[in-house]
Amino acid sequence: MNVILKTEKLRVEYRSREFRQAAKVALQGLDLEVGAGEVFGFLGPNGAGKTTTMNVLLGFVPPTGGSASLFGIDVRQPIARQRIGYLPEQTYYYKFLTAEELLRFYAKIFDIPSAEADRRIASLLKLVELEHAAKRPIKSYSKGMQQRVGLAQALINNPDLLVLDEPTSGLDPLGRMKVREIIQRLKNEGKTVFFSSHELGEVETVCDRVAIVHEGVLKAVGAVAEISAGHENLEKAFLQIVGFQTAPLP
Amino acid sequence: MKASPFFILAGLATLAFTLAVKLEPEAAGWTQGQNSGNFLGLMFGDGRKLLANQFFTMADVYFHSGYYPSIFDKNSSEQKEIISASHGKKETEEDEKNEDFLGRPKDWIDAFGRNFKITTHTHLEHGNEREILPWLRLAADLDPHKIDTFTVGAFFLRDHLNRPDQAEAFLREGLRQNPDSAELLFELGRFYNDSAHEVDRARNVWELGVRKFLQASPADQKEDKLIFEEIVVHLAYLEEQSGNYAQAINWFRAAQKVSPNPGALEAQIVEIQKKISAKQP
Amino acid sequence: MNKIFAVAGVVIKELYRRKDFYVLFVLTALLTFAAGAVNFFHDEKIIRYVKDVCLLLIWVCSLVIAIVTTARQIPAEREARTIFPLLAKPVSRWEVIVGKFLGCWLATGIALVVFYFFFAVIASSREHTWPLATYLQAAWMQWSLLAIVIAMVMLGSIYFAAPSSTSTISFILVAGMMLVGGHLNKIALQQPEPMQSVLAVIYFIMPHLEWYYLSDFVVYNMGSVPWVKIVAATLYAAAWTGFFLVLAWVGFRHKNLTT
Repeated sequence: MNVILKTEKLRVEYRSREFRQAAKVALQGLDLEVGAGEVFGFLGPNGAGKTTTMNVLLGFVPPTGGSASLFGIDVRQPIARQRIGYLPEQTYYYKFLTAEELLRFYAKIFDIPSAEADRRIASLLKLVELEHAAKRPIKSYSKGMQQRVGLAQALINNPDLLVLDEPTSGLDPLGRMKVREIIQRLKNEGKTVFFSSHELGEVETVCDRVAIVHEGVLKAVGAVAEISAGHENLEKAFLQIVGFQTAPLP
Repeated sequence: MKASPFFILAGLATLAFTLAVKLEPEAAGWTQGQNSGNFLGLMFGDGRKLLANQFFTMADVYFHSGYYPSIFDKNSSEQKEIISASHGKKETEEDEKNEDFLGRPKDWIDAFGRNFKITTHTHLEHGNEREILPWLRLAADLDPHKIDTFTVGAFFLRDHLNRPDQAEAFLREGLRQNPDSAELLFELGRFYNDSAHEVDRARNVWELGVRKFLQASPADQKEDKLIFEEIVVHLAYLEEQSGNYAQAINWFRAAQKVSPNPGALEAQIVEIQKKISAKQP
Repeated sequence: MNKIFAVAGVVIKELYRRKDFYVLFVLTALLTFAAGAVNFFHDEKIIRYVKDVCLLLIWVCSLVIAIVTTARQIPAEREARTIFPLLAKPVSRWEVIVGKFLGCWLATGIALVVFYFFFAVIASSREHTWPLATYLQAAWMQWSLLAIVIAMVMLGSIYFAAPSSTSTISFILVAGMMLVGGHLNKIALQQPEPMQSVLAVIYFIMPHLEWYYLSDFVVYNMGSVPWVKIVAATLYAAAWTGFFLVLAWVGFRHKNLTT
């Protein structure tokens, strides 16, 4: 397997600002490997360490111990992010820019030549169906439109690895379907997709493999079918792995 | 019934207008006697005297094109009232020119920093003295009881800018605000005597100045002693030139009472007495 | 370098799309016209006080633009969380810091050009002269000072989350340095020990912003400063700017942005 994303004994501690308070351990020796062309679901309850893992992979948080690499390059090197696209959970973009300007800005960050940037911007705006609003400031966009701008910016560099943080969060059913279609299309193009989600049904539909983390520890990793084996569906398997006890109905 | 927002707006606007019409005459009364309707006075309240002093200093700064000691500079107190000192007193002016408040650079920062500030002592000339006028005008508006503002302004208008009419008007404005000021009367008399060549008016104004001085309290008299001396000496010369030698001697005698140098005045009296003797057949 | 210019470009766009600059420019123009319209002794040649007022407004406005724009850059990126999609791209935190600095500096430079052009038109309307070298030196020195100020504010914005705190502290520091900085040696001499030594040390290690105020040369038509001194002062400004930027980067490079 051509490993694109790798973590080894990854440990992250958040130092407390309170005097004599112990550091909070967010990740404890996480080992992960994601191969080229995989759609990899990263699951866990709130506070399990999913976002921390993504933050380390994207260079927002330095690891306390262990290592993390993208395409074999340490994530602390900016160049490691040359071939990735990232879609944050919520839409966080410069609201005074238009969609076209935002995409051009990110294209410059990737050193994409101007003519090529023009071509990509046009095709991405078409893909996310925002051509009509391309010259309007982002602050005038609806939430769904902002999410689609986010998707376009994540694809501006034609990435080999796409990191999606709750990509369908807050979207209406049509928006979710659109995102799923795009993920499927990227998979067909041979791209690697690493995404976190609470929508286990969605994960079951699009993922090749999943990992489940709980309290900073990797609890399970494997193909969806392997993890779901012996359970009614992935959701039931997930609940059992994280130790959730369902209360009997009265 | 649902009121249209336009009706509410119209109602509020009408109310505001009615109240404004009703209260405006009273509001004028609230400020009467405080600021006399002066915009600057209204804006700055009692702080206007401080500001007036600052503007007066600004006139001085402009007169020296920025070459001026800051409050941190040594001997700053000695540098005050420089333009007052330039009332034709060339000695003082020369002394001042020789004075260097900057001194030798204290360190490399000081030395290098001097490249970026004015370090040459110059005075405005060739009509550029006009540039100090706005500051004096503002100082006069803010504190109409600061006599120096009017005397300095009139001096520059008359002697440097050749605008005697404006100088007279400025002095008269000062007099309206300070009718008992012997200093302003002295300056006005100088204007009549030196510029307008109206000897009688000069005499009247100076004599009024003497009367104002004599009516003043002992404390004020002590403060204005030098002005009194200036007035009576000028009156003495005026009378001497007019041929009223006896009156001239009277004024010199009056000046001797307050002068730090009565001997010099005595010499003047002797000179006049000689003239009287020479005139007698 | 492209990445730095890309980040700077967004800052410049932000400045001209916000209303701050236009409001400050209109305010400066209105106050200058109001000052110029006052009749002092019916003399229409009086101009220096108008120049003085206009330059003072330019100084205040450019400082406001520089400090307020810079102080909100990093905190706004963190608050709006735009920093995450940005840092998820192949851009280093040093490039972000330098790009933000450059954007703020260029933006204030553009503002200065507009302000000084307005000033030159107003001054020449009565003086009928264009002392371009003096204007150029005054604007350049002001821009050099703004480089130090922007870098200093950038440093502050790394440590103070609220732009208002950074702005207030920066205004106080800049005003203090400009008004008292050049006199600290004299003040020190009048103090007892150990205050004397403390003030003397501060005097020698602080950036001397007061050098960059050339308004007196412009207002009083006192010619220009030798260019070699301008070059030296520019190098001094560049050194301080670099110092503050490196300090800002040191604080920012390992900063946990998620808390």
